[in-house]
Amino acid sequence: MKDLLLRLRRSEDTARPPHAYLGALGGVALLILSIVFILGGYELGVGSPRRLGTGAFPVITGFILAVLSLVVIASDLRDTSDAERPDWISFAAIGAALAIFALTVGRIGLVPGAFLTVITASVPDPSLPIVGKIILGALVSLACWALFIGLIGLPFAPFGGL
Amino acid sequence: MEIISGFGNGLLVALQPENLLYCFVGVFLGTFIGVLPGIGSMAAISMILPLTFYLEPTSALVMIAGVYYGAEYGGSIASILMNIPGTPSSSITCIDGYPMARDGRAGIALFASAIASFGGGIVGMIVMAVLAPGLAELALNFGPTEYFAVILLGLVAASAVSNGSPLKGITMVVAGLMLGTVGVDITTGAERFTMGIPEMRDGVHLVIVAMGLFGVGELIVSIRANASGAFQNEIDYKKFYPSRAEWKAMFGPIMRGSGIGSFFGALPGTGQTVASAVAYAVEKKVSPNRAGFGKGAIEGVAVPEAANNSATQTAFIPTLTLGVPGSASMALVIGALMMYGIVPGPRLLVDHADLFWGLVASFLIGNILLLILNIPLIGLWVRLLKIPYKYMYPTIIVLICVGVYSLNNNVFDVWLTLVFGWAGYLMRLFRFEPAPFLIGFVLGPMMEEQLRRAMLLSRGDPTVFLTRPISGTLIAITALLLVYALYSGMKARRARQRAHAVTETSDLQQGKS
Amino acid sequence: MKHLLILGAATVLLAAPVHADPGKWTDEPVRIVVTFPPGGTSDLIARVLAQYFESEYGQKAVVDNRPGAGGTVAADYVAEQAPDGTTLILGNNAPFTIAPTQFDNLPYDPMGDFTHIAYLGASTPALFVQPASGITTLDDYIAQAKGDGITYGSSGVGSITHILGKAVDIELGIEQIHVPYQGSAPAIQDFRAGVLEAYYDMVALNGDLITEGATQPIALAAPERSSAFPDIPTFRELGHDIVIENWTGLSGPAGMDPEMVKTINETVGAIMQLEPVIERLAQFGVAHTPMSSEEFTTFVEGTISTWEPLIKAANVNG
Repeated sequence: MKDLLLRLRRSEDTARPPHAYLGALGGVALLILSIVFILGGYELGVGSPRRLGTGAFPVITGFILAVLSLVVIASDLRDTSDAERPDWISFAAIGAALAIFALTVGRIGLVPGAFLTVITASVPDPSLPIVGKIILGALVSLACWALFIGLIGLPFAPFGGL
Repeated sequence: MEIISGFGNGLLVALQPENLLYCFVGVFLGTFIGVLPGIGSMAAISMILPLTFYLEPTSALVMIAGVYYGAEYGGSIASILMNIPGTPSSSITCIDGYPMARDGRAGIALFASAIASFGGGIVGMIVMAVLAPGLAELALNFGPTEYFAVILLGLVAASAVSNGSPLKGITMVVAGLMLGTVGVDITTGAERFTMGIPEMRDGVHLVIVAMGLFGVGELIVSIRANASGAFQNEIDYKKFYPSRAEWKAMFGPIMRGSGIGSFFGALPGTGQTVASAVAYAVEKKVSPNRAGFGKGAIEGVAVPEAANNSATQTAFIPTLTLGVPGSASMALVIGALMMYGIVPGPRLLVDHADLFWGLVASFLIGNILLLILNIPLIGLWVRLLKIPYKYMYPTIIVLICVGVYSLNNNVFDVWLTLVFGWAGYLMRLFRFEPAPFLIGFVLGPMMEEQLRRAMLLSRGDPTVFLTRPISGTLIAITALLLVYALYSGMKARRARQRAHAVTETSDLQQGKS
Repeated sequence: MKHLLILGAATVLLAAPVHADPGKWTDEPVRIVVTFPPGGTSDLIARVLAQYFESEYGQKAVVDNRPGAGGTVAADYVAEQAPDGTTLILGNNAPFTIAPTQFDNLPYDPMGDFTHIAYLGASTPALFVQPASGITTLDDYIAQAKGDGITYGSSGVGSITHILGKAVDIELGIEQIHVPYQGSAPAIQDFRAGVLEAYYDMVALNGDLITEGATQPIALAAPERSSAFPDIPTFRELGHDIVIENWTGLSGPAGMDPEMVKTINETVGAIMQLEPVIERLAQFGVAHTPMSSEEFTTFVEGTISTWEPLIKAANVNG
C-alpha cells in the first residue's frame, strides 16, 4: 500500500504540462457555468426594467462572467509557466472522508463516524503507519464526544442513529 | 460633556466585579468556541443566550459582547493558523495571516490581529460615542441606490484583494455574484437553480462556502506539501511580540483601516465585508510594503482586522436606532435587548442612555479582557502548529464536518462542503483565488435585492444611480478605481512583455552561437 | 361566520364536563419549538411562556429554535413527534395559514397532523404613509394610488403585510407597487430615507415613529380600534372589510390526550392574565383573547380558508 502510494506520487511528479492547458480548462468550466445560468435565467424570466424578473440577475452576471472567462482563457493560453502539480490521491481521499462522515453520522453515530473519517482522510499520508492512524482516529473521535456532545451539547448521538 | 459623563457611568457599571466576571467568562468561552471551524459568534451567542435571561440586563449584555468579541477573535485564530475563515472579513485576514503562519510567524500574526482588532475597536468606539446621531443620519441617507453603489465599490475593491491577476479576481467576484443567486428569490419567492432540492431553498450557507473553498481546498494542497517537508519552517513559538519595525508598519494600517471601517460600519449588513475589502484594497495601493501583500505582510493582517472591528462598533448605531441588524449575531443582540423590554428604535439613545453607554463601555472592557486573556494564550495556539500535519489534518477534517453539520443539523450541508472543497482545490490548480469569490457570494444577494428595489422605486429609470448625489459620487469613485486598475494592469503587462521580448532575443542569440 | 358560532357553542357544551386546573402536565421538560431564529418576537413570547410555566407551575420548558422555509421546517418536525405533551410549537400564520396555500408539496396537514391547543393573541398591522406626502385619509391614498401610483414596502413575499397589501388592492380597487423587504426594519429604513412612499407594519412597533411625526398612520386592519392608538381608524369603519391579524398560538402533534390539552389551555390562559406578561406582550402589540382549544382549532381552520384567495392573489407559489 505504502509502496503503491509512493510510486503513484513519483509518476505524478514527472508529468507536468504547462499551465496553459489547466488555466484554459478553468476558464472553460466558468464559461459552461455562465451559459447554464444565462439559459436558466431566461427560463425563469428576466422581467422588465421596472420590475426585474427572477432571472434578470443571473442573466446579467452570467453574461459578464461569460465575457470575462473568454478573456481568462485567452490570457491563460499564453501563460508558459509550469502548471501546479495536481494531487488526485489527496483530492479523492479528502472527498471520501467528507462523504463517509455524511454517510455515517446519522446512522452509526458521531464516535464511529469521526473514527472512519480520520482513517479515510489519513490514507494519502504514507508517513503515518496504520496503527498510528487507528490511534489517531480513536483519540479524535473520543475527543469529539467529550467536546461536542459533553461540553457544547450539540445534538449528536455518540453511537447509533439519530 | 454629556458624552464623558455618560461614558463614565457606563464604565462604572461595566467595572462592577460581577460584570467583569461575566465579561471574562464570555470572552473565554467565545474564544474557545470561535476557534472551532464553522462554529462562529452566532453559534456561540445562541448557546449562552438562554443563560443570560437570568442575569441583569447589563450583565447579560456585557457577557454577550464578551462572547461576540471572543468568538470573532477565535475565528481569526482559525483563519491564521489553519486558513479556515468563518466570515468574509476573516477570509481577507487569511490572505496574509496564513502565509505568515507558514513562515513561522504565526505568533506575530495572532498578536497583530489582536492588537489591530483592539485598535479598530477603540477607534470605532470613539467614533460611535462622538458621532452617534450623525451616523444614524448617515444610514438614513442611504436608500437602495446608495447601497447598490456601496456594494459595487466593495466588489471592485474585492477584486483587487486577490494575489494573482486582477482579471481573475474580477472573474471570481462575478462568479460569486452569479452563484449567490441559488436559492429562493426573495423578491418573488420563486426557486432558482435549486435542482428541486429542498435544502437548497435557503441558498448555500456562507460557512459551507468558506469551509469548502478555504479549509478543505487548502488541506488537499497541504497534504503533499507537508509530506515532502515544504512547510517545515522553524517556528519560534516563544516569539510573538512584534519588532519595533513591525509595530511601526502596523500603526498606519490600523488607523486607516479603523477610519474606513467606522464609515462603512454605519451601513447595516454590507458594512463589515465592504469595509474589510475596501480597507485591504486601499492599503495594498498606499502601503510602502505593497509588494509583500499576499505573501505574509503584517499590514495585510492588521488592516482587515482593524476595519472589521471598528465597523462592528459603529454598526451598533443603526442596529440600535433603526432596528436593522447587520448580521445574524447582531439580530441575537437585539433579541436579548427586547427580552428586557428594550425595543430598538429612534428613541433608544435618549430613553435608554444608561444602557447604551453601559454597552459602549462593555465593549471597551471586553476588548481589554480579550487582549489580557489572549496574549498569554498565543504561545499555546502557536504550539498547535508544532503538531505534525499528519495528525492535524485528519482532525481538522472532522472538525469541519462537525461544524458544517451543526449549522442546520443536516447531512446535506456536509455533501455541499465536499463539492465546494473540490471546487476550492480545482480553483487553486487553475490559479483562481477563493477570497474574491466569497465576497461576491456574500454581497451578491444584497446587491441584487437593492438593484431590483431601486428599479421598482424609480419605476424603471436606471439614471437614478447617477443622479442621486451619494450614489453618483460612489459610482464615480468606483469607475475611477476600475480605470486605474485597468491602466496599471496594462502598464504592468507591457513591461512584462518588454522583459519577455528581451529574454527571447537573448535566447535566440544564444541559440545562434 | 354563522356555523362558526354554532360550532363554538357546541364545543363549549361538549367540553364542559372535562374539568382541568392550570398546572404541570408532564414530568418531562417540554420543548417549545419556535419557527424563527432566537431574538424575534415569536422567540421572546416562547421564552416568556417557558419562564412562567416553570416559575408558576413548576413545568420545566425549553425553547427550541428551528427556523427555515417559512416555518414549515419546525411544523414538519413537530408533526412527527410523539403526542405526549413534551413537544409543542409556537405556531402562527406562516406554517399554518399561509404555507398550506403557498406550497404545493407541504409535508404535513395543518389540521389533521396537529392538536391546536391554545390561542395566545394577535398583533395588528396598519398602513403608513410619508407625513410630507399630504395624505391623511384613506380616500387621499386611493386618489394617489389611482393617479401617480404608490410604492409600498412589506416584510417579504408571502408575509402577512404583503397579503394585507394584496387585500387592500382587491378591496379598494387599486394597484399599489409592491416592494418586498426582508423584515419590516429595512423597509422602515428606506421609508425614512424618503425613497419608499408607504408601508404596512405592526402598529405597536411604530409607536415611537408616530409620536415623532416621522410616519403617518392611515388605517388599521383590526376588527376595532386599538386602545394604544385610539386615533387610527380601522379599514372596517371606513367601509372596507379588511381584517388581517398576525396570530400566535400553541399547538402539538395530532392525537394528544384531551385532558392534557385542557390543562395546557388553562395554564396558558392563566399565564396570559398575569400583569407582567400582559405588559411584556403589549410591547410587541400582542393582545390576548381567551379561547378554548376547540375554538382555536376552528379559528386556525377559518384563517386558512379566508386567506386562501388573498395568498393566491399575492401570487406566491414556491
